[in-house]
Amino acid sequence: MAISDVKEYTHLTEEEVEQIGRELDAIRAEIEDSRGAKDAAYINRLIKIQRGLAAAGRVTLLASSATGKAKKPAWVAGAALLGVAKILENMEIGHNVMHGQWDWMNDPEIHSSNWEWDTAQPAEQWKHSHNYIHHQFTNVLGYDNDIGYGILRMAREQKWHPVYLGQPIYNALLASLFQWGVALHDLDLERIRKGQKDPKEMKRQLRQIARKGRNQILKDYVVYPALSGKGWKSTLTANMTANLARNLWAYVIIFCGHFPDGALHFTEEEIEDETRSEWYLRQILGAANFNGGPLLHIMSGNLGFQIEHHLFPDLPSNRYADIAVRVRALCEKYDIPYTTGPLYQQYGQALRTIIKLSLPNSMTSSDQPPPMTEPPTPAHDRKRRSDDERPPRRRELGGWMRSAS
Amino acid sequence: MIAVADGRVPDVTAGRWVTQCALSRICGSCAESLGRPVAFLGTPAEVARNAFHLPPMHVACAEDLRRTPDADPTWQLTLTAGFEFVRPAREDEDRRPTFQPNSLL
Repeated sequence: MAISDVKEYTHLTEEEVEQIGRELDAIRAEIEDSRGAKDAAYINRLIKIQRGLAAAGRVTLLASSATGKAKKPAWVAGAALLGVAKILENMEIGHNVMHGQWDWMNDPEIHSSNWEWDTAQPAEQWKHSHNYIHHQFTNVLGYDNDIGYGILRMAREQKWHPVYLGQPIYNALLASLFQWGVALHDLDLERIRKGQKDPKEMKRQLRQIARKGRNQILKDYVVYPALSGKGWKSTLTANMTANLARNLWAYVIIFCGHFPDGALHFTEEEIEDETRSEWYLRQILGAANFNGGPLLHIMSGNLGFQIEHHLFPDLPSNRYADIAVRVRALCEKYDIPYTTGPLYQQYGQALRTIIKLSLPNSMTSSDQPPPMTEPPTPAHDRKRRSDDERPPRRRELGGWMRSAS
Repeated sequence: MIAVADGRVPDVTAGRWVTQCALSRICGSCAESLGRPVAFLGTPAEVARNAFHLPPMHVACAEDLRRTPDADPTWQLTLTAGFEFVRPAREDEDRRPTFQPNSLL
């Protein structure tokens, strides 16, 4: 069931919702005031470790190719080191740097404007499709393109079509080729297919993707294998394995963020005239955490604290663990659902939803917690919206336009 | 001067555009990726409150905008490495989101 009014769903009064907002504002202000050298040391140390792992992986593969000794163990070690380095770069470093979590450091390199990550999607397009579309319209049907990435049916409100019978296969393909799926995400293939996409913008984006994709392929599948001489095949397969491992890991973590049972969807009515507090509430209800130790959280880009990440996407990720304790206590105080569980359980629920929703609603039941009621398979238009069709959050006129009009 | 990639001309102060610039980290004037430092144009009151209404811009774009005939003559340029995007609360009389520079240069 998609929610059209978070206040009504949570049985909170307007004053309670605003009080929750004030308490979350206070958490935010406290973190902003206290971030400093310790946080900067954390991200600098992490980048150093990640680069060390990447260099060690590359050198291990090159050395094993050159000497021909201990080929198999070296291949395993090289691929593993490289895979971990790629995961760290994408998840805890790239994703969070591009959110602007570290901009306050005024570092010339660790800044949302400059960072280009080790994956096929150009940073500029990711900042639009993820930072803006996904974080602004989180889980709003027809607005948030991350609901199924345009190829999977992930909400019972989405109209069923026989093409979704193949959903388990599309899901496996998406997981394996995740970086390429993400690379095409901001293009909006549905609008291209319908001839609604501006051709100039489409060409510009395609050029960007082609350039970035070509560089990624050259790096991992041409240059490093070529440097390995006779052992080129071993380096190539190790690089391919590292990329596959990163793809699968990133896919699992991302799907655990919004698709386990308990993470709710919303209708467009909810975002009309939404206040900051209501926006906070939608982020809490639309996201899901998973439990784990510090290493798991670092390897996941701290997206196991998906709820906290959605509340404060531009606060440093190393603070989410502390913030989570306070957010959870706040949710308990106001009896707001706080969705969390072990990683295997959260992914298992997401996978079950993928498999179930390949069939029409009439053949399956909802797994959402009560008091959910079953909607019929709808004929509702849930097409992807363009930026123009997404509603403005605020009506306003500024000084510059006032004098221009 | 103010144009997005597909040739449309947005109102640089419109809520949707301001939000998109803030989250996509693009210049409110030229729509290209922001650089470092980030520039904000604001009235003396906005500078004093450290809360700006115009979206983040490149330094050159902000300078250009300030020189246009329609520019507010009181606008001051503020440079920062980063900023917070603050959505309006229910009790705020001014329902526009604001940008609060967090590392002034």
